[in-house]
Amino acid sequence: MLALEMFRSVPKTMIGKAAGGRIPMLLTGLAAPLRLVTLDTPRVEKPGWARLKVRMSGICGSDLGMLSGKTSLYFSAVVSLPFVPGHEVVGELLDDCEDLAAGTRVVVDPVLTCAARGVEPCEACRRGETNRCSRITVGDVSPGLQTGFCHDTGGGWSQQLTAHRSQLHPVPEGLSDEQALLMEPVACAVHTALRAGVRDGDRVLVSGAGAVGLFATLALRELTDAGEILVVAKHGHQRELALEFGATEVVAPKETLRRVRRTTGAFQLEPVYSSPYLLGGVDVALDAVGSKQSLETCLHATRAGGRVVLSGMPAAADLSAAWFRELDVVGTYASARGEDAFGKAADLVAHDAVARMSKTVAAYPLHRWREALDHAHSAGRLGTVKVAFDPRLS
Amino acid sequence: MVGSFWKDTVEDVRRAKRGWRWGHRAQVPRSAEPFVPPPSRNVYPNDWSRTPAAMVAREFAQKVGLEPVFRSQVRTRVEGLDTLARLSGPVIFAANHASHLDTPLLLLSLPDEWRRRTAVAAAADYFFDTWWRAVGSSLLFNTLPIDRRGGTMSATPGEVLRDGWSLVIFPEGTRSKDGWVGQFRMGAAYLAVEQGVPVVPVAHRGTFAAMPRGAGWPARGRRQLTVRFGDPLVPAEGESVRQFAPRIRDAVARLLDEEQTDWYAALRRSVSGETPDPSGPDVAQWRRVWASTQSPDVEPGKIRAWRG
Amino acid sequence: MTRPGFVLEVDDRTPPLLVHEGLGFRLEEFPLGTRVIYPPEPVATVPDVDQAIREALLNPVDSEPLPELLFAGMKLTIAFDDLSLPLPTMKAPDIRGRIIEQVLEMAAAAGVDDVELIAALALHRRMTADELRHVVGERVFRSFYPQGKLYNFDAEDPANLAHLGTTEKGEDVEISKRAAESDLLVYVNVNLVAMDGGHKSVGVGLASYKSIKHHHNAKTMVHSRSFMDHKHSEMHSSAWRMGRLIGESVKVFQIETTLDNNVFGKPYDFLMKREWEWSVKDQAAMLGMRRGLALAPQKLRHKLFHDLRGAYGLTGINAGAVEPVHERTVRKVHEQQRVKIEGQADVMVMGVPYLGPYNVNSTMNPILAACMGLGYYFNSYLGQPVVREGGVAILYHPLDEGFNTLHHPSYVDFYEEVLAESTDPHVIGPKFEEQFATDPWYIHLYRTSNAYHGVHPFYMWYWIAHALDHLGDVIWVGGDRRAASRMGFRAASTLQDALEMASGAVGTSPSITYLHNPPHLLADVR
Repeated sequence: MLALEMFRSVPKTMIGKAAGGRIPMLLTGLAAPLRLVTLDTPRVEKPGWARLKVRMSGICGSDLGMLSGKTSLYFSAVVSLPFVPGHEVVGELLDDCEDLAAGTRVVVDPVLTCAARGVEPCEACRRGETNRCSRITVGDVSPGLQTGFCHDTGGGWSQQLTAHRSQLHPVPEGLSDEQALLMEPVACAVHTALRAGVRDGDRVLVSGAGAVGLFATLALRELTDAGEILVVAKHGHQRELALEFGATEVVAPKETLRRVRRTTGAFQLEPVYSSPYLLGGVDVALDAVGSKQSLETCLHATRAGGRVVLSGMPAAADLSAAWFRELDVVGTYASARGEDAFGKAADLVAHDAVARMSKTVAAYPLHRWREALDHAHSAGRLGTVKVAFDPRLS
Repeated sequence: MVGSFWKDTVEDVRRAKRGWRWGHRAQVPRSAEPFVPPPSRNVYPNDWSRTPAAMVAREFAQKVGLEPVFRSQVRTRVEGLDTLARLSGPVIFAANHASHLDTPLLLLSLPDEWRRRTAVAAAADYFFDTWWRAVGSSLLFNTLPIDRRGGTMSATPGEVLRDGWSLVIFPEGTRSKDGWVGQFRMGAAYLAVEQGVPVVPVAHRGTFAAMPRGAGWPARGRRQLTVRFGDPLVPAEGESVRQFAPRIRDAVARLLDEEQTDWYAALRRSVSGETPDPSGPDVAQWRRVWASTQSPDVEPGKIRAWRG
Repeated sequence: MTRPGFVLEVDDRTPPLLVHEGLGFRLEEFPLGTRVIYPPEPVATVPDVDQAIREALLNPVDSEPLPELLFAGMKLTIAFDDLSLPLPTMKAPDIRGRIIEQVLEMAAAAGVDDVELIAALALHRRMTADELRHVVGERVFRSFYPQGKLYNFDAEDPANLAHLGTTEKGEDVEISKRAAESDLLVYVNVNLVAMDGGHKSVGVGLASYKSIKHHHNAKTMVHSRSFMDHKHSEMHSSAWRMGRLIGESVKVFQIETTLDNNVFGKPYDFLMKREWEWSVKDQAAMLGMRRGLALAPQKLRHKLFHDLRGAYGLTGINAGAVEPVHERTVRKVHEQQRVKIEGQADVMVMGVPYLGPYNVNSTMNPILAACMGLGYYFNSYLGQPVVREGGVAILYHPLDEGFNTLHHPSYVDFYEEVLAESTDPHVIGPKFEEQFATDPWYIHLYRTSNAYHGVHPFYMWYWIAHALDHLGDVIWVGGDRRAASRMGFRAASTLQDALEMASGAVGTSPSITYLHNPPHLLADVR
């Protein structure tokens, strides 16, 4: 079957790191450790596993970071090269899988937990916190934190993959394939919203209005009692969507600190050779970009004792504010089975605003993967929120 | 006037750079997506590779580049070249296919005059999708692109034969996964009948052991390869492609048998229909691969001393 | 696999789009949401042209085969469309020449001696010898021109006109005497746009001013909605009536051809490609051409553009009775040019190219530019106009080429005198048309030189009557201010300024449709 495979290539990764910033075309050409190949369909001959035909699979910021060599080497121990990327998957079952019949449309919770790996549940899995599973490198399948980073299971950017029953969530009738595709990122946003510890009437800053930031805004508005939600957005279409999803106000990146200062009445300080910061600020800040600048904005705009939520893989940043202002810095990763994130996500994607947004999902056939990745890199500037692969178009 | 010319030029270039995303991939507007033409199979034409100038370059590349490297990595034993001495004019060499080593093995086993006018049919989608692969393989191995997905060959092989070039075709269409012979496609038989050209069956052993699918370089230790050319097969008057094709496969099977045993025994077995099936025994995959990874032993009687 | 025409909606992923403006072009970044109509790609051509011509002549529609209509001793007249078609001029050999050669071969076989070939140009200018040679081909030219048997139709020669009567609506029908008295009149046409062909070929092409003035007037044109759609065009109804009257006394064998829209050959083929599919070579060609045009003097630019020849392919040829043949022709034209679009827009944008029917080998003066944009392009619709009533038309043309006194002498006076007084077609017609039409100097130039008839600039103005009636405002981007205001229009330097000026009529965020032609397209507006 046709698949995009990520393989180990030190020279490509080095070229990507060195020149990728200046010549972005390299990241989807010479420096991309990705190739379109014909592979045998992945099979795991263990109970509970079934084959899925992929309908659509999204491109996430973490995939892009991995392909351009920006991801920390920390993760090299929890992936098994070569693998097929793609962890946002909507597909249909090719085999019966326990209580689900063949032909059922499902979305995949990509985390490969103890249940999928056929081992005794670890502490975290027993508590229902499946995203914190400690057994992601052992068991029935090769090491891999998620489907889409594991050699044995295959991934979304291909025509077929295999998944365990514990990962599958049937898609309710009435949702389009594009809406089903968004269920995984929205589930992550649901988990983020719960992790953010927002109290009644709290002021929240969401830095970043890509898919992560926009869905986090939606989840915060619908599932918590947040008061004001201030979203930082660069592009016009992101501003409109943020407002539709429940943001109170949308600001451009340069105006963020000033606006927060005004709404909270905080004092603004200007250190030499560093970015300004506030004494005072919002109660909760959420970094949905992962860049040094965005993270520092969040740290500098949160009041003492407040919480900063790291929603995407963070870059290195100056953590002085975290210590000095006694901030809680928490990370959110994927979603936990115990909190029924996917169930809540199914409700959220049925909203009119999300249904409208899902129509702008840009779908590409597998053989146009270079265009698709380039589009995903510049999605904001090109007016798109989510870029996905549709193997049926090949 | 001149000042505004340069300003306008800069403006034009800037607009083009922004509009067509120089340094990025060109994008298609959403409303134009339904009209994106389907991917064109990029097959770079290679008629230039059969011109005299290219032939000189290839001679150099093969004699000075390919041959020394090849001989340093493997040992070869060639049999059956006397059948070629009795032939003139273009033929189709039909061989089994187990490794990328098959092509250099065959080409470098042919006598020089044959080698210079022999083209190798190679998959267009594998060898001719980028210009450097097309040029490299054309120059080094004298490849000719064929469309293996279609089941029929594209027009050029016939023209090439008519021009007096011999053709090497691997009727299996792809390299074997376990070293044993797979299904033979009709392409070679079709061309032979169409163009009235004899088919010389070729059987080789040992290439899978030396460099199977997935390996990028021959295994260490100068493995042994053998290649044997058989008697030419000529399609009979009125013989159809469907009738001729199995004859080619049987001929290759007989040659493999002869390779491992001897000619007369192989001949007797072929008459009584007992030629061993070249597609291998019906046993577990690991055993089939195990058998193929053994290099052929060309001196079975030789006594090898232990190193003292 | 030829792709159909379609409507693009400009979004963030759209590159700047090409807009023609006279002897040049520019790349314009249209506002998000602008709809752009792209014509279909060239459709399949006939595999063997000569074979197709022979087929059509031997198996015509609703008529006997041509050889049966030819006999020794007969009077045969062959009329053909003049050089105003196709646009740009076809690369040699012209399709009309190839058809005429085959017709003449059949005539020679039948023993026909009395043959005359007439360029059916009505009130257009006479063609030069070179132009005639280009259209009919060298063999035909050499056989007939020196003997005076190949000539331009002279609509002002009273000795050579025959009045055939009046239609039921009282319209005079007066055509070439030679044509009226022939045993067979063969007409060879090139149907570039849906307006041409049918009864318009003989009924207008070979007619005199007396006939033409019945349907070339402001009132008729306002009620031609549009004149590209002969079923809804007052002009065509009139021409059709005349044609039927002619058909009663003259045997007409109509041969109509359709061409594909391969107008720009290499290295200018990027002008026909969709912008987001431009390769690096195309982008380089575009930049090179723009910079070259910026440096080149006007004369060189003129030469560069007017030397372009179109490598057209023949997509269809039909011969026989006028009406059924035209039915098929129109279908083929629609196949090549029709694009569906939903709804009208507030603003219509058009780039006026360097060439129209009336300035082949000549210059495009402001009046011709207005006719091309507001006449031809505005009327390229079926159903309803692309822009709503009271909407705004934005056109691109520098309007600075001046007037060619050889070809367009009466235009100068029209521009200086008539337009200065009024730009309303309904006013200038009754007041000035008669004078210009009967002025002896203009008639002299028309008959002996290469000048358009004195009345011709009026026809240009009537051509835009429907647009003037329908639109609220007309703005020329990059146009010469004085020329624009003389014609009663406004000028702006950029698209943004033009939209700013238009905001009075259509608001600050109007819906915009841009017609991406040439090549020609026909907007089927639902």
